[in-house]
Amino acid sequence: MIELLAPFEYDYMVKAMWVSGLVGAVCAFLSAYLMLKGWSLVGDALGHAVVPGVAGAYMLGLPYSVGAFFAGILAALSMVLVRQRTKLREDAIIGIIFTSFFALGLLMVSLWPASVNIQSIIMGNVLGISDADALQVVIIALVSLAILILKWQDLMLVFFDESHARTVGLNPLMLQVLFFTLLAACIVAALQTVGAILVIAMVITPGATAYLLTDRFRTLLLLSVGFGAVTAASGAYISFFLDGATGGVIVSLQTALFLLAFFLAPKHGRLAARRRATEVEELP
Amino acid sequence: MSALWSFFVEPFAYDFMQRAVLVAVLVGAVSAALSCFLVLKGWSLMGDAISHAVLPGIVLAFLLGLPLALGAFAAGLFSALATGYLKEHSRVKEDTVLGIVFSGMFAVGLVMFVKVETEQHLTHILFGNMLGVTAADVLETAIVAGITLLVVLLKRRDFVLYAFDPQQARVMGLNVRLLHYGLLVLLSLTVVASLQAVGIILVVAMLIAPGATGFLVTRTFGRMLAVAMAVAIGSSLLGTFVSFHIDAATGPCIVLIQTAVFLLALFFAPRTGLLMRRLGHVPELPSAPSRQ
Repeated sequence: MIELLAPFEYDYMVKAMWVSGLVGAVCAFLSAYLMLKGWSLVGDALGHAVVPGVAGAYMLGLPYSVGAFFAGILAALSMVLVRQRTKLREDAIIGIIFTSFFALGLLMVSLWPASVNIQSIIMGNVLGISDADALQVVIIALVSLAILILKWQDLMLVFFDESHARTVGLNPLMLQVLFFTLLAACIVAALQTVGAILVIAMVITPGATAYLLTDRFRTLLLLSVGFGAVTAASGAYISFFLDGATGGVIVSLQTALFLLAFFLAPKHGRLAARRRATEVEELP
Repeated sequence: MSALWSFFVEPFAYDFMQRAVLVAVLVGAVSAALSCFLVLKGWSLMGDAISHAVLPGIVLAFLLGLPLALGAFAAGLFSALATGYLKEHSRVKEDTVLGIVFSGMFAVGLVMFVKVETEQHLTHILFGNMLGVTAADVLETAIVAGITLLVVLLKRRDFVLYAFDPQQARVMGLNVRLLHYGLLVLLSLTVVASLQAVGIILVVAMLIAPGATGFLVTRTFGRMLAVAMAVAIGSSLLGTFVSFHIDAATGPCIVLIQTAVFLLALFFAPRTGLLMRRLGHVPELPSAPSRQ
């Protein structure tokens, strides 16, 4: 019993848990939009593309979030640019850009290995997060969360009923730019908790899980944020007993939750579907 | 003169460099061949997914004392099948399901990796360890890459038809299911072959960029394939060479050279490049290459 409470006695663990929970919540908020729009892989791409920015920022002694954000925006712009000019499929363009950025990051690290710990960029390192980095993460997450709480209905309108959004006087372009800026910011924040490779799970899995459980967007958002916060915080907690791999534990929990919902969800679950199928067979 | 000579020859005087070049060329060639189909079929990110998903397979194979390649292959294939199953039985979009499956498997692999003491380095699995390739690794890569390349080239016409127009392929009496899973199997094999050399993260780039470059500069599939393979093999040679001289990781060098070639094609391709279009030679974008 006392062993289970042990993590709470360490300052760094308490910090890791609430920072992760906060990041999990705000990423999950965005996931509701991303997965409904079918933009899941944009999250993956941005997660990889920020790596050279982080590496560069650490080398120059700048705040890591500035470099990451800059690289993310640069990657997004190059995707838009290449896309306008070729008939290549969108997924191929996304793939080329993000893998190139990622390769650039790895090259930089291999040329100047001393200044950056590549493992902590790729895998995240929330247990060993410095106070300066934690502060950046918390500011990003809180500001994003505040904007999302204020604007969630506008974003919903713009994404799922653009003509209606126009008639009520919203500016779709502005709101889309706002959304992707928030996404880039949250990915930068999530980098510290789960790392570049697993960021994608943080920005799609909670939303997809909630989508299997409800048909109302408001409920979907609430469920998704709840899942994100709880899995991230408890993932950090559990990783104390494993001596690391916080990102792996968080994402494993999120995936397990998704699978539970997939099989057991009351209306959209696999078992419910099977039950309905047998009922239909028995009817006549 | 002799300084220049040694500049070019010196890297390849070392055994480990010879092995590195050999593996890089093999992996580059087989990835390039597959990339043509992936780019046309819209499966570019399938390579991304499968390559991340192999991690738990590697750890499990280590635990059970099986060859790591076998575990990796099984896990890669499992991820593709699981994605198909989850997609068919839920209302979640395919790309989301793909993302959930591969990130979930990678996460589980990571946790297992931390708990199990393996003699593998995680960074080697992720980013490859080209300069540490052993003769046995070269042999393994050569066998896997050779088989894959052979199947792709022999069955080229069927796969092309399937990639362009599955309906038509079905009408013509081809076994579409077999082609679908065949392509997935080949993709998993390629990822396995690339494990030692470039690692599971950068193979994603090698599975897209050459095909995309070929797409930009040619109009028939045969030429697209030839360009893709030439680009990949050239990049592998040049990348290994450059990495030796600037003392940098080999995988990223190869990938960045492939990207540079892609960008060159984007700007200067004879018919479709931005330069020629700006000069007013070709008023509109070309369509996808034809099937010949």
